[in-house]
Amino acid sequence: MAGSILGNRVLRKEDPKFLTSGGVYLDDLEDERLTGAVYVAYVRSQVAHGVISSIDLSEAVEMPGVIGVFTAASLNLAEVPSAFNPAVTRTYLATDKVRYVGEPVAAVVAETYEQAVDAAAMVYADIDALPALVDIEEAMASDNLLYEAAGSNVVFDTTALGLPENTGGEFFADCEVVVEGRFINQRVAPCPLESRAAAAAWVDGRLIQWLSTQHAQGALATIIAANGLEASQVRIITPDVGGGFGAKIGTYPEEILLGRLAKEVGRPVRFRETRSESMMALGHGRAQVQYVTIGGRRDGKVTHYRMQVYQDAGAFVDMGSILAPFMTRPMASAVYDIPNIEVRTTSVVTNTTPTVAYRGAGRPEATAAAERAMDMFAAEIGMDAAEVRRVNLIPKFLEPHTTAVGQTYDVGNYEVAMDKAMQAAGYAELRVEQAARRASGNPVQIGIGVSVYVEITGGVQPMGEAAKIEVHEDGSASIYTGTSPHGQGHDTSWSMIASEQTGIPMDRITLVWGDTDLVPVGGGTMGSRSLQQGGAAVNKAAIELVEQARSLAATLLEADEADIVLDTDSGNFHVAGTPAVSTTWADLAVAATTNADFPDGLTHETRFEASGATFPFGAHVAVVEVDTETGKVRHIRHVACDDAGRVLNPLLLEGQIHGGVAQGTAQALLEEVRYDSDGNPVTSNLADYAMISAAELPSFEVVHMETPTPINPLGAKGIGESGTIGSTPAVQSAVVDALAHLGVRHVDMPTTPEKVWKAIAAASN
Amino acid sequence: MSVIIAFSMDEALRALAAHPDALILSGGTDLLVEINEGHRRLGSSSADIATSPTVLAVDRLSELRSWTIDLERSQVHIGAGVTWSELVSEPLAGLIPALAEASRTVGSPQIRNAGTLGGNLGTCSPAGDGLPVLAALEAVVHLRSATHQRDLPVAEFMVGVKRTARLPGELITGVTLPIINGWQGYSKVGVRNAMVIATASTALVADRTKRQIRVALGSVGPTVLRCSEAETMLSAAVDWENGGVGSDQLREFGGLVAAASRPIDDHRSSAAYRRHSVGVMAQRLARRAFPLESGPPGQGKSSGI
Repeated sequence: MAGSILGNRVLRKEDPKFLTSGGVYLDDLEDERLTGAVYVAYVRSQVAHGVISSIDLSEAVEMPGVIGVFTAASLNLAEVPSAFNPAVTRTYLATDKVRYVGEPVAAVVAETYEQAVDAAAMVYADIDALPALVDIEEAMASDNLLYEAAGSNVVFDTTALGLPENTGGEFFADCEVVVEGRFINQRVAPCPLESRAAAAAWVDGRLIQWLSTQHAQGALATIIAANGLEASQVRIITPDVGGGFGAKIGTYPEEILLGRLAKEVGRPVRFRETRSESMMALGHGRAQVQYVTIGGRRDGKVTHYRMQVYQDAGAFVDMGSILAPFMTRPMASAVYDIPNIEVRTTSVVTNTTPTVAYRGAGRPEATAAAERAMDMFAAEIGMDAAEVRRVNLIPKFLEPHTTAVGQTYDVGNYEVAMDKAMQAAGYAELRVEQAARRASGNPVQIGIGVSVYVEITGGVQPMGEAAKIEVHEDGSASIYTGTSPHGQGHDTSWSMIASEQTGIPMDRITLVWGDTDLVPVGGGTMGSRSLQQGGAAVNKAAIELVEQARSLAATLLEADEADIVLDTDSGNFHVAGTPAVSTTWADLAVAATTNADFPDGLTHETRFEASGATFPFGAHVAVVEVDTETGKVRHIRHVACDDAGRVLNPLLLEGQIHGGVAQGTAQALLEEVRYDSDGNPVTSNLADYAMISAAELPSFEVVHMETPTPINPLGAKGIGESGTIGSTPAVQSAVVDALAHLGVRHVDMPTTPEKVWKAIAAASN
Repeated sequence: MSVIIAFSMDEALRALAAHPDALILSGGTDLLVEINEGHRRLGSSSADIATSPTVLAVDRLSELRSWTIDLERSQVHIGAGVTWSELVSEPLAGLIPALAEASRTVGSPQIRNAGTLGGNLGTCSPAGDGLPVLAALEAVVHLRSATHQRDLPVAEFMVGVKRTARLPGELITGVTLPIINGWQGYSKVGVRNAMVIATASTALVADRTKRQIRVALGSVGPTVLRCSEAETMLSAAVDWENGGVGSDQLREFGGLVAAASRPIDDHRSSAAYRRHSVGVMAQRLARRAFPLESGPPGQGKSSGI
């Protein structure tokens, strides 16, 4: 018998299509329901904060090809409250106020995309500017309120959840050493290669809405409500999606309004945004200011840790505002056994693009803070930063472990991960090389950064997923999943799992997702949940399907069910010991059509419920060269040891690690969304926003480690975000380490040449 | 907006005579970005057409798209429509290596295939990558109109931020550059390694025949700046015979270059960092031109920089 396919480097089924004919992304769609579609372009606020006194549509409506120009008033749009703070409400097109540059103010529908864009430029919104609040701490203190009804620019606070306030200096009274830091975990833009696009058509009284999304089923309720429909009247369809990174979890006003606009003009409508629009109106990520205090003993033991996090929610209370309390706070203890921890998080609205989930979503921020704090503590007591970590790591545990902040982790073996990464990097040799470089006086210095992390995956409700497998009369099969691929390789993974259990070849299995008529319930793809919940559901569905098929096979082969076995190499059922007497999946699918026990044919649907989240962990070692004269950083090596539990397909795992390390490094070195003091974005194209490229990255060194979780039968934890979480602090730490001999203790991210140069200058003064 | 596509030089010059303020379109890597980003309104309603500028496309003119090498006079003539990709390739790259080096830092391959040297001159952004090299090589810019033609030293052609001495009705037809005996190079600071606009840039030419160092800076002033004091100082300090210069002289040179810059603070960089970085770049370029450590103290040692 051939071995299991699971755990093997199976090439992606998706790639021949993507690499040859290409994916069919939303704006590429040719669908008869979109015949005669017209284009929507949005007029966006060019003022960060202001009161709208009038919107002049008179020139726009006269423009060539224009079918209609709409405002909140003409569409009679209702105020929609934030899901997280009901006092904060908005309309999908701005009415009384605008709150960030890029906020949609009016919608133009025209025959062609170009005509819509040209006409949108002729809409003049007269806006009386108010002072713009760009800085989180300034916004918090200001009585210039974005949402008067909220009574404050502070829109979410852990104290309102009943969690205690942080105490005073006495918290650290027993510590021999106390170090404080203020860390910027800067605002970044997710930059999916496919920017947003959407379309809507009314077909026989039903709204068909196409979305480039990570979660079609999650968009349903919003679209239903916005159009005043019954659930049965809306269908969401997801074509190929060119990346999301969290920013395509939610549904945006530009997408939500399409059904209304299609109805108004009596034609199907399409929308696509430019890159510059995407940089302003697709949600941003991170955006925290962290005040961190760490205390402990001179022997390296950390005993006390405190965080006050200020989370920038941007101009609305979207998902970004709840990541600090529900993701950063629980992970405050990181991989360390710290007996005393207190954390308060405060989310604040500002006149900037609303923040949402972005790859890691709250956990990278917790890790970055803890790792920076450990480095600074180590520097203060004159101990090697890796050694300080070793002293404080939670020892290996295979039973649940609960930290002082109250979060329970499933399994962990942090010291081994750190040892593996350091060994692969040649840590001791690197330190020798660093010492030699320092002694040489070379202006280009070496820095080494070590980070150890743990994160939460599959931690968001619903912690379960449905799967359905349908066997067709030709012996092929379809898998229906509530997860939603947008680059990960679900087609490959789910086919591997189903093939393993059923013996149906991978290339005869088709994946169905993201269509709410075909898959009405699903949790989408986010928070690294897919394999551990969606994949586990496919595994369960396949096992149960085989059981049902066995009973059908017993009838066909006139044998006792207990004697029927499935040969997963051939995909045939036969009587044990008599392989010649067999039946195939195709035979069974045909037989099922006339069998009363199989009213829907040979199909099985099931649901897997996880008992909880999983906690992948790992360690990264980054090596950088820093030119102390120009401040330029070269990332020259990166070793990543990421333990995601049992590995289904190492090729997909490495792909996730590579992409994650690239994005995490980007935050450490390059990327930052910035605004001027009037709230104008100054990084709204990819020339000014330094999205990372291969030219800035080394070849990654991946070290494998597998500690299976007991939470699901696959033993799998999430891997989609680990690379991002582990790499950012390692790279930042390496930059600071390269300058340690010059007296530098901290450089905020991104560690641009100018910041590095200034840090060196400040330390020498 | 109306667009005139010229198929010959005559057509182009006649069109310019009729529309002296026409926007001249070649590769479109500056002009179309300005239009698409809304920095330049061409007007799209019928009411605007009378007042909106005409666009004259000159990318089909073979005179502009060619270059010639004149070895007798040791110079190269480059048509305004020659692309960055062509400047990166031989034989031009070998004759004007600093321009090839600068061209390689422009955008992506797609942008380098479209963007032209003439466009760089016409836009005259302080960050134009070709311009410091043209300034350090003391290139001559050729202009033509329906009624005249004239030549201008590039330093006189570049007037200010996106401002040139080109008169209405004139077309930039090309530049003439010397083939120099000596080292030349270009260095640039940007936010990443590729696809970036210069935060600061420096071109250095060591003209052995004239025994003259020439330095030009980009993105640190309203237009490209020369550094005469630094040039004079280093021209006198280097060992032209053996290719050496002392580290102390280099530092002094870097300081003079930095002092010659007139940078501003903007969203890409602080003025202070720009000033500092051109000083460092100038020293490093000069060390590449004169690799030996020479002059007092110690002769003929190789430097580690």
